[in-house]
Amino acid sequence: MTSGVQQDITLQGVTKSFGAPGRQIEAVAPTDLVLQGGSMTALVGPSGCGKSTLLRLISGLEVPTRGQIRIGTETPDQLRRRAGLAVAFQDAALLPWRTVTGNVALGRSLAHRPRDRAAVAELIRLVGLSGFERHRPAELSGGMRQRAAIARALAGLPELLLLDEPFGAVDELTRDRLNTELPPLWEARGATAVLVTHSVTEAVRLSDRIIVLTPRPARVAADIAVTLARTRTAEVLASDAFRAICAQVSQALRLHQASEGIPAQ
Amino acid sequence: MTPRKRAATSRLGAICTAISRLPRGTGTLIFLMIWEVLARISASSFVIAAPSQILDYSLTHAGLLWRAFITTLWAAARGFFWGNLAGILLALVATLLPRSERLVSTLALLVFCLPLVATGPILRVLFGPGDGPQVTLAALAVYYTTFLPVLVGLRAAPQGWFDLIRSYGRGRLIILRDVRLPAALPYAVAGFQIAAPAAFLGAMVGEFTGAERGLGVLTVRALRALDLPATWSIALLAAGVSICTFSAVGALGRRLDLAPPEVLLAAPVGNPSSRWTGAAQAFLALTVTLSVWHVAMQAYDLPRFFAKRPWDVWRFLTSDPAARAQLFAALSETLSLALPGYLAGLALGAALAMLLTLMPRLSATAIPFAIALRSIPIIASAPLIVWALGRGATGTITVVAVMIFFPTLVACRQGLARTPRAVLDIFAVYASSPIRRLFGAQLPAMLPAFFASARMAIPAAILAVTTAEWLATGRGIGALMATVASTSDYNMLWSAIALIGFAAVMSHALVSMLERWVLSRTNPEQLAR
Ligand SMILES: Nc1ncnc2c1ncn2[C@@H]1O[C@H](COP(=O)(O)OP(=O)(O)O)[C@@H](O)[C@H]1O
Ligand SMILES: [Mg+2]
Repeated sequence: MTSGVQQDITLQGVTKSFGAPGRQIEAVAPTDLVLQGGSMTALVGPSGCGKSTLLRLISGLEVPTRGQIRIGTETPDQLRRRAGLAVAFQDAALLPWRTVTGNVALGRSLAHRPRDRAAVAELIRLVGLSGFERHRPAELSGGMRQRAAIARALAGLPELLLLDEPFGAVDELTRDRLNTELPPLWEARGATAVLVTHSVTEAVRLSDRIIVLTPRPARVAADIAVTLARTRTAEVLASDAFRAICAQVSQALRLHQASEGIPAQ
Repeated sequence: MTPRKRAATSRLGAICTAISRLPRGTGTLIFLMIWEVLARISASSFVIAAPSQILDYSLTHAGLLWRAFITTLWAAARGFFWGNLAGILLALVATLLPRSERLVSTLALLVFCLPLVATGPILRVLFGPGDGPQVTLAALAVYYTTFLPVLVGLRAAPQGWFDLIRSYGRGRLIILRDVRLPAALPYAVAGFQIAAPAAFLGAMVGEFTGAERGLGVLTVRALRALDLPATWSIALLAAGVSICTFSAVGALGRRLDLAPPEVLLAAPVGNPSSRWTGAAQAFLALTVTLSVWHVAMQAYDLPRFFAKRPWDVWRFLTSDPAARAQLFAALSETLSLALPGYLAGLALGAALAMLLTLMPRLSATAIPFAIALRSIPIIASAPLIVWALGRGATGTITVVAVMIFFPTLVACRQGLARTPRAVLDIFAVYASSPIRRLFGAQLPAMLPAFFASARMAIPAAILAVTTAEWLATGRGIGALMATVASTSDYNMLWSAIALIGFAAVMSHALVSMLERWVLSRTNPEQLAR
């Protein structure tokens, strides 16, 4: 299903509120966005601002209170029902009775892909879990679990990849390596990706575009294009342009951090 | 720990190691010798049979015991199968149709609380000769203790696992196959473990009511004849079977490399959303119970003379004041014994569990012992306890307390062990005393398990008190049911069953209310779902 037809993600007036009527929590304020097909978009914002909620809306796991979302011409639900997307969850959500291999292989079988031991083993190697194939999640560190969850999400060869703070518990060194080795896996297939992250450098390094969100309810505070060469070589990462964009994102974050508690109207 | 206490514990430890260093079997030998002497001394009081007498009886009647044992085992095995199947299916229904959960749980509890004393004779009339009643009673004795943990297991999965499956567009069937069923497996094994001895007990009780063969038949004969060596031999045999099956299922679970379940017993059902839905659900449960009762009897065209309909019971209770007075007097006598036993069993179980956390070294030996004792069938122990303590209140109360004590101890231990590591570390960092740690951190972690066992103890208390009254003391509603069953006074029998069922459901509701009230203050997370 690597059709190469890259579908834009369109959000029109999307809002999301939780809770009983009268005591509602607004997690996502009215949002209009178009995320270009085949690109990598990063969502950054303070914790609890509604990033995960936005991601769940795009995945179809959550239904917008108002507004609509389209991926190409499909609704998220339609895409989800034909197993066109995969989510790497913030808390890994590995099944504790399956081994690492079993969990990664589950990502293939749930996406209706035929069994392929070699592909599963290769993914496990890529996320740096070689030697842990037969371990259960309980025997892994938090970072290792997140890496297994990423491997599982990639295993189904999704058209749309949604990553919710996938490297949150991964140590700096490993994170650096994963940031180099993983993106080619979905870029080569032309998959669209949305990444939620806390790290400004990671956002700039991995994405083509960065959406900075305000504290809850989430709304777009800044929309920053990452005008860097697609392959982020060491030179690119050391460049002034890279640092300038990082500074721009940090400033946008700081600006809106300060307005927390004041109604963001 | 004070130095003196520490010295005492280490002396105890030294004695333990000294005993364990003795040549193999010496400990057992000393134990047997003490037992023999005790039995000889107390021979006049007809309570303890000496090991030599038991051995003599077992050897001279080996063939008889063996045939009886095989008969009972076969009935128990079939009951085990059907009962567990029913428990699993009920749990699946309650999980897949969440709206039915309350109804299914209430009906399952109600049927489980039906006293064996009464269901035995009724099943005998229904099935006629053969081992139908044995198998049915064995199944009835196990389905509930499988239903509850499997239900918890099927629902215990965190939301993230469901989201994972749903994110691939897969539905309930795949969730069942890949999440719920594997998650429920260790819970099911825990249920089977309790079920194995219970099935054996159920089959034995089934044989009390007019079977031709089996250990239950031998038990009745031995009890009638006050044949002490025979009673003890059968009790030991039954206890041995129970302990073996309990350990075998446990070993099977370990072989399967299953993680032990997080909570053994059911998490409480959340508060009804309003007073009205609670009342409506209670009304629905009542209506469904009465309809099922009535419709089942009509459908199978059971003779009115023995299969009483709800309406017959109502008419009987409202029209015959003398019988009503007799029934209520028996019920209140029974409850006045069951309640103290129930409370004592719970309190002692929880207290010992807490005490053992203060003395970890002692618990290493005490817990396997308690687990083994837990599986000794009540019909073997009840008569012996009553013989030892007399037919008065003390004997019956002790039977009930013993029945509840061991499961409570085991459950509370598990609850205490679930105290989060990080919380314990905080207490360790401040070098808090073990007592402080117990009340500050471990007790709150124990409460959900404690209340779960308090709920499970209600059917256990009913079983214990009616069995003791029936087999040993000859008083209360247990004896009344046995009498009216033998004189074919089926109006009285069905009325007694209905009253006991009602009392059980009401007590259960009361304990659940108390549980929600306490847990909403101490462990709100347990009530979240
Ligand atoms: N299922 C839910 N029910 C109620 N409130 C929710 C739910 N999911 C998220 N929220 C609320 O929405 C807000 C945003 O949450 P989330 O999207 O998880 O934030 P982030 O991922 O940015 O840290 C939070 O205030 C959170 O409490
Ligand atoms: Mg989040």
